[in-house]
Amino acid sequence: MKSPIKVLLASAGALATVITFAGCSASPGAASNEKVSITVASLIPGSSKEAFAAFNARVKEFEKANPNITLKTEEYQWTGPTFSTQLAGGTLPDVFNVPFTDSKTLLQNGQLADITSEVKALPYASKFNKNVLSVAEDSSGKIYGLPYGPYAMGLSYNRAIFEKAGLDPNKPPTTWDEIRADAKIISEKVPGVAGYMQMTSKNTGGWELATTTYARGGRLETTDSSGKTTVKTDNPQTKAALQFLKDVRWTDNSAGSNFLLDWSGMNQAFGAGQVAMYPSGSDVLTSLVQTDNVSPKDYGLTTLPLTGTGAGVLSGGNVAAVSVKSTAAQKAAAVKWIDFYYIQQLVDKTQTVAAAKVLAASNQPVGVPTLPVFDQATYDQQQQWIKSEVNIPLSNVAPFTSKIFSSPIVPEPNKNTQELYGALDAVVQAVLTDKNADVDTLLKGVDSQIQALVDAGN
Amino acid sequence: MTTLERRTEGQLERRPDGQRRHRYSPVTWVRGGGLTNLVFLLPLLIVFGVFSWTPIVEAVVMSVQHTNLVTPATFVGVNNFVQVFKDPLFWTAVRNTGLFALLALIFGYPLPLILAVLMSEVRKAKGLFSALAYLPVVVPPVVAVLLWKFFYDASPTGVFNTVLHWVGIAPQPWIQNATSAMPSLVLEATWAAAGGTIIIYLAALTGVAPELYDAAEVDGSSIWQKIWHVTLPQLRGVLLVTLILQIIGTSQVFLEPFLFTNGGPANATVTILQLIYRYAFENSLGGNYGAATALSILLALFLAILSFVYFRITKSWSDN
Amino acid sequence: MTTGALTSELVADPGPERAAPPTATRQAKRGKSRSPEDSADRGIVSANDWRRPRIKWTWRVSHGILLVLLIIVGLGPLLWLAKSAITPTVDTLQNPMAIFPHGVDWSTLSNAWNKVGIGVQFMNTLWIAVGSWFLQLLVATTGGFALAILRPKYGKIINALVLSTLFVPAVVLLVPLYLTILHPPLINQSLINTYWAVWLPAGANAFNILLVTRFFNNLPREVFEAAKTDGAGPFRLFWSVVLPMSKPILGVISVFAIINAWKDYLWPFLVLRDPGVQPLSVRLPSLQQAIQLDVYLAALAISTLIPVVLFLIFQGMFLRSAGLGGAVKG
Repeated sequence: MKSPIKVLLASAGALATVITFAGCSASPGAASNEKVSITVASLIPGSSKEAFAAFNARVKEFEKANPNITLKTEEYQWTGPTFSTQLAGGTLPDVFNVPFTDSKTLLQNGQLADITSEVKALPYASKFNKNVLSVAEDSSGKIYGLPYGPYAMGLSYNRAIFEKAGLDPNKPPTTWDEIRADAKIISEKVPGVAGYMQMTSKNTGGWELATTTYARGGRLETTDSSGKTTVKTDNPQTKAALQFLKDVRWTDNSAGSNFLLDWSGMNQAFGAGQVAMYPSGSDVLTSLVQTDNVSPKDYGLTTLPLTGTGAGVLSGGNVAAVSVKSTAAQKAAAVKWIDFYYIQQLVDKTQTVAAAKVLAASNQPVGVPTLPVFDQATYDQQQQWIKSEVNIPLSNVAPFTSKIFSSPIVPEPNKNTQELYGALDAVVQAVLTDKNADVDTLLKGVDSQIQALVDAGN
Repeated sequence: MTTLERRTEGQLERRPDGQRRHRYSPVTWVRGGGLTNLVFLLPLLIVFGVFSWTPIVEAVVMSVQHTNLVTPATFVGVNNFVQVFKDPLFWTAVRNTGLFALLALIFGYPLPLILAVLMSEVRKAKGLFSALAYLPVVVPPVVAVLLWKFFYDASPTGVFNTVLHWVGIAPQPWIQNATSAMPSLVLEATWAAAGGTIIIYLAALTGVAPELYDAAEVDGSSIWQKIWHVTLPQLRGVLLVTLILQIIGTSQVFLEPFLFTNGGPANATVTILQLIYRYAFENSLGGNYGAATALSILLALFLAILSFVYFRITKSWSDN
Repeated sequence: MTTGALTSELVADPGPERAAPPTATRQAKRGKSRSPEDSADRGIVSANDWRRPRIKWTWRVSHGILLVLLIIVGLGPLLWLAKSAITPTVDTLQNPMAIFPHGVDWSTLSNAWNKVGIGVQFMNTLWIAVGSWFLQLLVATTGGFALAILRPKYGKIINALVLSTLFVPAVVLLVPLYLTILHPPLINQSLINTYWAVWLPAGANAFNILLVTRFFNNLPREVFEAAKTDGAGPFRLFWSVVLPMSKPILGVISVFAIINAWKDYLWPFLVLRDPGVQPLSVRLPSLQQAIQLDVYLAALAISTLIPVVLFLIFQGMFLRSAGLGGAVKG
């Protein structure tokens, strides 16, 4: 299995240089005078006023540079369960995002707009590496979106709670045993706090189980040379990951008392100081600040322990896509916005600094670790550009950033991912709420259920 | 005007239609009030036609089709039904829904009757009693669920667990445990609905003819005997009606499992309606409308049988 | 013809929504308890029984206990919500049953209304209620008038078709109705994210038609005769004679319509995706994990306040309806 991200990282050096130069010359294109209005996804529901202020400032800048384009913004959050309703209902904004796991199927189903010509019109279009775009391209090379914001999974932890429990927040756990031991200490010393917890609901239970399985060297789906995908969650590494959860919950009683947590719920619990450690995307701090009042000085991020052969860090990312319902003029405007908002701030010094300044002015975190779109050199350079704007203590995320570049990065399972995750939710919940949950039977059930979906090809 | 008047009069007196049939033409149809009738019926015909009759027919059609809204629908026979029956979650959902309905009967059926009988004998401030009993029904269901979700916080500092602590009971997991989740949902649902049932019974109790009690007293009946031999038999019809209505309602439970637990923990609260919702709207890559409608048709058939029983009962009840 | 008599009949009728019969009988109850000639003074316990101290005190004590229980169970959760809506988050989390351990924080209410923008959804809820109410009245009164008073030949078929929808549970409509809203006939425009998506299906309420046709059927024919002699055509008959006589039943339908608009969740959740048009019931669950607990509880409290206030207003309205019903009869 060849990871697109690995290829991406390997091939990105040259590309980054090209884009950096190209980006400098990027101008608002051949502007026609036709007035056009598009709706773009803004922030997730419940984001703070300051976060919206920062976003709106970016919108103003864009409208100033493109006087014929009017942007309407709409709260948007991709979740597996709600996306199809919006898709079928035609209520998606003109610009929205979908995760890497779903973009390929959606574009094959004709549910994302073909923006090949618009992307080709971008100054750096011809320099795009095929592998960078592959998550948003069909077999004939048509482009349906631009990937952005890839992340790797890490372990978020609350530094303030670590201190309260007498642990050194600068020495986060580095093995699964240490995580378990620290979680136990925290739950004993700070009553009412779950030392360690994982998400369990709305497909995130499967997502995090995939993460902890990967970290132990396991995989949930394998594809052989003939292209046939086999679903195998009933494997030793997944069982070890579930056993770990079981120990934290039932032997140590350090998983708290709420076992129905989806992404937002977990972030909220973490923000409220009810959870001390949990696996998260490396970029989660942005939403923790936006919606959950988390102070960056109390936030710590480290890598998840990797054990066993084949161990890797689960990674994902988003594709900024355009609605199939958009008109030609809207598509052109939409791609300009994607270029401006998602891409330029990665490759163009002026834009990068401008974006960072806007964020910092609204007290939004600058310097949140993401997985570099290109390579470490580009990442370092970008960090260099925004250095004076960084407003989070970089030492707090250093345990993560110092190690992630030497870790193998592995993409998510790619066949019926959301269904697989959803089925695994129930397994994770069972382990956390039923002391005698029969993990073997549950996992076998998931395998046969998802294998049937994969074989049916839908 | 005279035409209209005559027509109105004719309609009101229900003149046999045959009288006018022999001179039927568009003009006489309009003059005879046919157009007026249609104008008055138009809102009903449009709204019911588009938003009730057509969708019902479509539901039946869609249950034997494969539809994805992109390519044209294809006929697949009973495949959707087979797919539903093969889904392991289907049987879980049937079991859970049955459990919900059963628990709702145990919690919510006898209690309102007892309360209503007690309340019917209140002399002063009767309105206060019924207002208090009815108050939870007024709370928007979503607010009620969200509020109780907070009450059910499983930590020792949760609302209910704090109250339990006062009386020396250990913290309960409430909705965080596969065994206690469903009873917790039913408890909230009962709280939200019992007031309505109490009011039904109260109304029925005032309908019991006083002479029946007088007669029973002449026979020397005690209060318990009066309840057993007069009140309950007189309420028989209402009791059966509320029983069926409650089963029909609880078979379609959605809000509680959706907002409390999203079907968890470990699918312990997935209900049939929630499964329909998942088939149709929670598939990130496009809805399975065929399976969703097939399952809803199955549920409708089950409820139709119940309604039939219900009608037989109400009929025999009103015939008496 | 009193509202009470009419609505108590309803209990025997099938209702697609469980909420309907309770409210209907509730009116029956109130209507009756207000008329002194009714049997209100005679229940299971006889006047003789009441004179016996043991029975009297047994009932009094059990009524006392009942009242306390009703206050705890019926009012308690709402009082708790009212308290917690103005209590800082930390206090509510650490000691949920304490009463203002660290004072009151009124700012939560204004935060919920302004910063979180509950005010928007509050107005949306009103709009949805008003629109559904108007459309239901329009369809029910015109349709009922045609079916019960004009009585065209095909009326029986339409009536049967309308009533048959009572047997179809709402869940069957869920998917096809959703697709109808996506691609409505004739107009080439999705109704998603418009209030029409809620209003129009709400109008197709067979229960209303049943109520109104029954009521119209029972109106005294002599009144129509008199109107006709005065030269009234069907439109004037409808507007100036039938509608004014129907205030009680229109009141009943209005109450149902407004309550249901306030309570509905799944349908508006499906068709109103944009927070800018969502009612409170749809918005609240999505705020649950996005805003601070104290502000969230304040939002819940605000959403509860209005139905409770409306509930108190309804009581007066029922009285007036019953009075008018009596006037029509007289």
